[in-house]
Amino acid sequence: MNSWLKIALVPAAICGPPVAGYGVVYLSVEQAQRAIFPAGSFTPSPVKLSAAQREAIEKASGVRQRSDEVKAWRVSGGGWFIVDDVLGKHEFITIAVGIDAAGAVRGVEIMEYRETYGGEVRGAKWRAQFTGKTKAASLKLDQDIANISGATLSSRHITEGVKRLLAVHDTALR
Amino acid sequence: MKTPFFTSVLRFCALAAAALSTVRADENFFGYSYGAETLPKGKWEVYSWTTARLDKGPGDYAAFDFKQELEYGITDRFQISLYVNERYHGYSDGAIVEDGEAKRLHRFAYNGNQLAFKYNLLSPFKDGIGLAFYVEPGYSLVTGGAGEAVLEWELETKVILQKNFLEDQLITTLNITSEFAWERPRPSGGGKYEGELVLEATGGVAYRVAPKWFVGVEARYQTAFPNMDIHKQESWGFFAGPAVHYGGERWWATLTWLPQLVGDSPGSTRSSRLDLDHHERNEIRLKVGYNF
Repeated sequence: MNSWLKIALVPAAICGPPVAGYGVVYLSVEQAQRAIFPAGSFTPSPVKLSAAQREAIEKASGVRQRSDEVKAWRVSGGGWFIVDDVLGKHEFITIAVGIDAAGAVRGVEIMEYRETYGGEVRGAKWRAQFTGKTKAASLKLDQDIANISGATLSSRHITEGVKRLLAVHDTALR
Repeated sequence: MKTPFFTSVLRFCALAAAALSTVRADENFFGYSYGAETLPKGKWEVYSWTTARLDKGPGDYAAFDFKQELEYGITDRFQISLYVNERYHGYSDGAIVEDGEAKRLHRFAYNGNQLAFKYNLLSPFKDGIGLAFYVEPGYSLVTGGAGEAVLEWELETKVILQKNFLEDQLITTLNITSEFAWERPRPSGGGKYEGELVLEATGGVAYRVAPKWFVGVEARYQTAFPNMDIHKQESWGFFAGPAVHYGGERWWATLTWLPQLVGDSPGSTRSSRLDLDHHERNEIRLKVGYNF
């Protein structure tokens, strides 16, 4: 065995097999739907984005649209419910965003969060900052959205995620 | 006879495992280069560091530096740390020669303490670039090379820069470090303190290849100036190699291998292209951290 391979084996020898993460699921899809639209009925309406739509979303939000699949539900009364992932420090953070018929955020829920710190983003007061925001909002930390000290990465990525989903709504769901 | 490299790696694994068993160990993406983040207010973290330093050219040489670190977030921008250090030296067969005599040593020893203070001025996540300042006073009781008993007072300062790209999936860091040290033999035996200035630059690039996993490269340049005389460079070494980082919900681990690629120590007979008087041919560092 050559020296390079021996060195490559060191992490395996010490750490053993990778430890599977134990994600914390705070809300199911149904629970998140009820939290944002308590009286709504939901019709699954997944959308596949075209390359032109992804480009338009990225241009409007300034955030990369990682997937061409949008997990969306049409809500009775004209709103939309979207489930999506944003990047956490180590894992993805699953969020749900409700958008009303006028294109304003009805509510944001954190469905899965697995990071070491920053769980404060699940607080109702911080999430309430998004309510009523439209595609015209700047949605930037320390501007129209307050940062949570010690949870800056999560705060920023969730904020950018909401901005991106407003662009998804404007581009592909209207 | 020279110990096979694989034997040294196995020895490193065993000693690292021993250290881990006693310590549940702020998340470092690199072994040598620090990021600009600090712990959130009121949070604690325990680390275990194990550094294997292997091969000084002639003879059989392996040294292991152990650190246990306890870290606490005073505010969201200011943290303090306490380090407890130990060292193991194992050498023979002419690896260390003093006054014409080949020395032999196999010893594990307590190696002093440091306090560290880190202040985050700019966040890499919202200010465009991360910036932190770090100050670490402390003392050591065992020299790194031959494992001699000394009393060394140290003051280390760092300027830490961090720039993230690609939605924080690509992390880059640069640290500029100055270490001021004053050392005398222990017991003193009339020996006086001698000063030394060590300047170091470390940097790394790591990319998130999968959830929880980062893979990158790290580099380190270190140079020493006896008697704090910046005009008299004693030696220098440049190291570069791979770094792997795993970050779970509560614990993380980082493994870095830094072989010395080029260096110089004028007058040394150990190597014509490396500084093996003050460093080794290979350094492997494992850090494990636990948050609570």
